[in-house]
Order: sequence, then C-alpha cells, then structure tokens
Amino acid sequence: MSKTSTHGKHGDFAIEAKGLVKRFKSGKAFIEVLKGVDFDARHGDLTMVMGPSGSGKSTLIAALSGLLRPEEGRVDTLDVDDLWKLSSGKIDKFRLDHCGFIFQGFNLFPALTALQQVEVVLKFQGLSKGDAKRQATATLKEVGLGNRLGQRPSALSGGEKQRVAIARCLAKNPQILFADEPTSALDGENGQIVIRLLRRAATEHGAAVICVTHDPRLEEWADRVIKIEDGVIIDDQRRTPNPDATLASH
Amino acid sequence: MSLALSTLLYEWRRYMAAVMALALSGLLVLAMTGVFIGIGKGFTATIERSSADIIIMQPGATSLMGGPSGVPRRFIPLAYRNPQVIEVQPLDGAGGSFQSVKNVDPTMSQAERARQGAPKQEFVQASIIDTTPGAVTIPTDYSQELVDALRQPYTVAIDETAVTKLGVKLGDRALYNGQTVTVVGITRGYPNMMQANIVMSRDTLRMLGQADTGPRVGPLMIKLRDPAQATVVAAQLNALGEGQWKAWTRQELADANAGAMFEEGILVIIIGGCVVLGTIIGVAITWQTLRGAIMANIKEFASLRALGVGMGSLNRIVMELSFWVGLVGVAAAIGLTLLVQMLAMANAVIIALPPILLLIVGGGLVVIAMLSGLLSLGILKNSQPADLLR
Repeated sequence: MSKTSTHGKHGDFAIEAKGLVKRFKSGKAFIEVLKGVDFDARHGDLTMVMGPSGSGKSTLIAALSGLLRPEEGRVDTLDVDDLWKLSSGKIDKFRLDHCGFIFQGFNLFPALTALQQVEVVLKFQGLSKGDAKRQATATLKEVGLGNRLGQRPSALSGGEKQRVAIARCLAKNPQILFADEPTSALDGENGQIVIRLLRRAATEHGAAVICVTHDPRLEEWADRVIKIEDGVIIDDQRRTPNPDATLASH
Repeated sequence: MSLALSTLLYEWRRYMAAVMALALSGLLVLAMTGVFIGIGKGFTATIERSSADIIIMQPGATSLMGGPSGVPRRFIPLAYRNPQVIEVQPLDGAGGSFQSVKNVDPTMSQAERARQGAPKQEFVQASIIDTTPGAVTIPTDYSQELVDALRQPYTVAIDETAVTKLGVKLGDRALYNGQTVTVVGITRGYPNMMQANIVMSRDTLRMLGQADTGPRVGPLMIKLRDPAQATVVAAQLNALGEGQWKAWTRQELADANAGAMFEEGILVIIIGGCVVLGTIIGVAITWQTLRGAIMANIKEFASLRALGVGMGSLNRIVMELSFWVGLVGVAAAIGLTLLVQMLAMANAVIIALPPILLLIVGGGLVVIAMLSGLLSLGILKNSQPADLLR
C-alpha cells in the first residue's frame, strides 16, 4: 500500500451536525430544503445518504463540507468546533487539509495528464515537486491507473476519469471524503470499481466516507444508510457491508 | 509545467483571439511608431554616414536641411583656428522641379505617343558633395565610381526609392529646373519617403545657378586630424564660437535630429492615438477571450475550490495565464511587425524597430494582458463548488 495512512479510530465521530436548516429563495417564497437535520458520520464508515432528487441530500453535504452556509445549525468536524464560525479562508484551508470531493462529473482539467491532475492539488497543499509526484504516482497506482499516468482526460474512459478524480482526493489523504453520485455517470463495471475504492478508503484509511446517491444497489457496500426526504431524515440504519457485492450494469 | 501554461498550450485555439488581439494592438503601435522613426532615419542617414566629424550649425537647428541651419561665411576661417581642424566645407543644397524626358520619335503618331505615358514632374531637394578626393562632404558609403561619375558636369544621382517616383532610370536624361541633367548614379539606403532627393556636385549646382554665393552658407562640415577627439574639439569650437554657433559631433546631431521629430505635435497625437486605440482594443478582446476561456473551465476551477484550493490561488492561476497570453502576444506582435517591415521595405518604406521600442511595446502588451486578466477575475466567483453538487 502507498504512503497514505489511516486516521482517527474506526468508529470515532468525524463529523457531527445539529439542526441544519437551509432555505433557498424561489421567486417570492422561500423553500426550506433542510428542515433541522441532525447528522453524524464516523471514521471507517461508508455512510450512504439516499433520497429522491430534491430531497436535500446534496445540500446536506454542501453544508457539512463548508461549501454552502446553512441558515441555522452547527457543524462540528474533526477538531473544529462549529465549522461555520470560521472565516471562508479557514474553511478552504480545512477542506484542503482534510476533505476530499468526488462529483458526478469528473471536472478534470482537459490540459493536464492524469499525473498532473493529482499533482496540482498536492502542490497547493504545499508538497514539494518531487513529493507531489511520488505521492500522485502512488495514488494513481492504487486506483489501478499506473499505466495511464501520462494520459489526458480526452484519452481516458469515463471510469478512468472518475478514478483520476478519486486519486486526486485520496492523494490528499483526506479524513472525510464526500462523494456526490459518484457512480451515476458510469456503467456497472466502472461503478463497481469506484464504489470499491470508496469502500477501501473507509476500511483501510479510516476515512469517513459520505456518499450521496439515489442508486439503491450501492447499499450493499455501506456501513450505514441514511434516507432523507423533503429535508428530513426519515431512516437511519446500520448494516454489515458486503465488500464483494457486485453491481450489475444499469 | 504549471497549470496555466499547460492550459494555454493545450487549448491554444481558445486563447488565439486574445493573442491575435494583442498582436494586432502591438502591430498598430509598432508599425506606426516604426514608420515615423524610419522617416527620421531617412533624414539622419545623411548625418550618420557623413564624413564630417563635427558639424557646425546655427544654434537651435537640429536638421541639416529644411530649416535655417546655415551660418555666416566668415565662420569658415574661424573654424580653422582650431589646430585639429583640417577641412571645412559648407553643405549646400537647393530645390527645384525635376522632370523626366521621353524620347520622342517624330514619326510617331499622336496615339503612339500617348501610349508612352506623360513625363513626370516632381519637386525635389538637391544636395551636394565635393568631388575632390576624400572631401568631407562625401558620405562614407559612396563608392569612388559614384564620386567620379558625379564629377562630370550636369550629372545627378538619385536613390533607388525615387526611381519610380521620378520616372527615370540610370543613364536617363531629365530636366532640373529646365536644364538637362543626366542620371549617373543610383544610391541605396537614402530612402526618400516624402520629397525625393537628388545629389550632385557643388560645381554642377553652381552651373545650374543655385550655389550659395552670398554671405551665408549652409552647415559647416568639419574633418578632424584625429576623429577620436571629436567630443573634445566640439567643446573647444563651442567655446570659440561664444554662442554664435553650435558644434555637434556627428552622433550628437543624429540623436538630436531623431528626437526633434517627436517634438512635432502631430506625431505625438498620431502615435498617442494608436497607443490608446491599441490598448482599448487589446484589453477589450483579451478580457472577453479570457473570460470565455475561464468560463469554459469553471467546473474544473470549482472542483479545485471544493478540494480546498482558495480563491487567491485561483486568481494567481488566472493572472499567470494572462501573463503567458501576453508573452505569446508579444512574440506574435513582433513576428507580424517584422513581416510588415519586410513588406514595407519592398516598397521603400522603412519601419525602424529599435530594441527599446520593442521593449516598451512588449512590456505594454504584457501589462494589457495582465489588466485583462485582472478584469476577468470576477468570473471566478462563478466557480461555486456547491453548484457541482446538483
């Protein structure tokens, strides 16, 4: 395995949120997207947040990760008390140091090779050129792209692009990993590779992986499934994950 | 390689509009300024290539011809009082009409004569050389053959750039102020961008009735025993003249001559206008192009923000990108200008590009690009990572 290490103790709280309320303006009215949500996620857990579209699941992780300021409620995460009390610069720094993000779209710079995509973020973290390269290469190998280091996104398949995006997060060795519909743009085979990588990030690196999805078949890999509807958590179950589950092609 | 540079190289088509806008702004300013400097160079060429080590003119005059630069004749013996001075000759010149002559066969019909085209008549400036060997008035790049040819009475030389304008070629006859002269020489490197210039011997000018014979003569061309002493002797001569004249070393005069042109108000207005227009066009197009290009990558920038890369770092990426766009723009501007320069040269127009001009305009273009980058920074505010989550 690479130089990446594990964090926290499995089972420790990585993130705890209380009473999150988020409203959006829609015409003259306000729509309440989060209605006082309490949420927590633990190190080593793959926490799945599921719900129909418009249920507020994306807004929830935006509020948890410091991307979208909630109107009410607080987020305590790692050693930070009330994330939203920090300045936006400090929140950026917190994300840089501790958070990874995976989106449905891969959002890779067309001009950069797989290796450079990962290196760029590491350099912003303050790694030296040599260290960034070493770390990026190791992480790309970990996600199975050891032979695609020099390829630009245009030469990569969708699954490979998502794996580059995952490597970009994992290389930072994040303690919290947010994934927003990471598999919905992928076929079954690639989706399976991606969800296994997320599973591994939780199990082997002890990251708290929070994965938003509407795909019920991903539940197989989850330690915990939280269902959200109309801005309210309606169900919260722990389950035993099956790391060898297969994801049939959609 | 940095993110900014890789992006510029990989997506160069996207940035082409900005590069071209910068290149054309640069071309506009470089070409206009270069043409004017070129015109100035045409005038200073006669000074720079003169054999004179020192030139004495009326105080305040900075140009050999055109303008009151002459001095009283009695200054000639005065200048000889300095022991370093070995030759003093006044420059002489005049102006007149120059008309090409067609060989007309008397048996031709009127229609055939018409087909030959009409003779051309132009007003020209005449300047002189002395044809004595080694005379101070002979430019350093004149060949012995040219001097020998001009020694014949009623002969003139013209520059190659005036051949078409005057409608004559080597060996042709022409009328100068109604008197027949023969073109015996074609010079190179004395471009006549405004009025054509013809060269003749002092004796020919006298025979044509235009030589200075009165109490005033043109600027004094002075040859020294030791040309290296020019600066010292010029100072001694100025002390000797007690303010009645000004003695210039050749280089001083050439510099003053080139500089004097830019004191003309109209030049400053034209070049200033070009600079303002070039800047506005450059900034507007570069700004919009950069905006578009950043907008095209906005999701990628947003994902970097999600990963915790701060706004300041993204701003730096954009500024670095603008800087590179500026550098490429400078290269394109200089390349284009060199092309135009060659084209102009083929048509006898000199576009002079001194390194200092390239440096100033190049620096200006980079500033324009950075300014456009600065204006485009606002667009980065659209890189809201939360938008990627839906």
